[in-house]
Amino acid sequence: MDNEKLKDILDFIKEFIKSAFSPKYNSTRVIQVEANEKMDDFIILCFGELLGLPLPSSYYSIELFPYLVQDIASWESRMLERKEVLTERWGKYDWCC
Amino acid sequence: MKKIIFFGGKGGVGKTSSATSYGLFCAQKGYKTLIVSTDPAHSLGDIFEIEIGNGIRELDSNLYGLEVNPEATSRTYIKRTKLEMQKILSPILIEEIERQIDAMVVSPGTEEAAIFDELVKIINSYSNEYDLVIFDTAPTGHTIRLLSLPELMGAWMDTLISRRREALELKKMSDTTRRKENDNKFLDDPVLKILTKRKEEYEKTRNMLIDSQRALFIFVLTPEKLPIMETQKAVSVLSKYGIQIGGIIINKVLPKEGISDNFLLKRKETEKVYLEEIYHIFKDLFIIEIPLFPEDIQGKNYLRRVSDLFTNII
Repeated sequence: MDNEKLKDILDFIKEFIKSAFSPKYNSTRVIQVEANEKMDDFIILCFGELLGLPLPSSYYSIELFPYLVQDIASWESRMLERKEVLTERWGKYDWCC
Repeated sequence: MKKIIFFGGKGGVGKTSSATSYGLFCAQKGYKTLIVSTDPAHSLGDIFEIEIGNGIRELDSNLYGLEVNPEATSRTYIKRTKLEMQKILSPILIEEIERQIDAMVVSPGTEEAAIFDELVKIINSYSNEYDLVIFDTAPTGHTIRLLSLPELMGAWMDTLISRRREALELKKMSDTTRRKENDNKFLDDPVLKILTKRKEEYEKTRNMLIDSQRALFIFVLTPEKLPIMETQKAVSVLSKYGIQIGGIIINKVLPKEGISDNFLLKRKETEKVYLEEIYHIFKDLFIIEIPLFPEDIQGKNYLRRVSDLFTNII
């Protein structure tokens, strides 16, 4: 078996494994969802006051504002538009396969 | 020599007069002393009959005074944040955000938070500059809460830091581009940096506060029922937070001799019971008595008279 052929076979196996277990499609998405949720949690701990939750550290969060501004705007509307937690949870994960 | 001394007690028992007279006493002994008033209703300037204003002001030779001004502190803080924002954000966003920030500043708790920020700053920076920093605190409840904050806020910062870190790590994992510069973005997170800096400051403050070689708390009380009870509670709470209690000052004790008035003699009888109670309850602590003067304790001359009473160590 020459090298050319061996490389082809190895490439094929690589491609196969890549598409079968690719993090790009499913696992990445799950991690992304998780990451967004963690980020939302963090923002709630810092800026709950914007939703009316009194927090001990609100005053100290003010200096974080400039760095989190982009996240906060979308976070606030998402939190305020929340209607049903269960459906949202259900829909966030890809249950099939 | 202790570095930081807190004077606390129930309202009206004479915290400011005791703190300032002790300050005068130490200043005259040659220690560079700073008196800090953390009570939002300041009376430090009033007792010296001068206007202290913002910043540190010399009160006497070797003696300096500072009245913590939560409003000014939070103003500076907001200004700094807004400046920072102008550096990193587009001007269109800024107007809307400034409104939100202004709304957050008026929320309850801001004043306490600002005072705490100042306390941390004073303990961490001025305690190197001065031989002695004396805190003339607000009435007990306020102060105990303030002194418990380094621990509580430290724990809170821990939570924030670990949440932020988790979220960033997940973001990094799910980042399919896998670029090197993105890695750096996750590692140099400015939010994490700010939180970590705060946490370190709180830790430093807390270590100072619980170091019995450097910090202690002196309670001022009058020989009456309620101040005794309040002090007893406060002593147990402070020991829980690990802050050393240095001593008790009994203020406004009726003079031993020279009372002929029946009313005052009767009062003296009542007082005796309370004095015995104080000596019994706080028998492990250093106790001194300051008599009741016919005049107010006001102006340097009177303060000197009281400061003569401080024998030596506290």
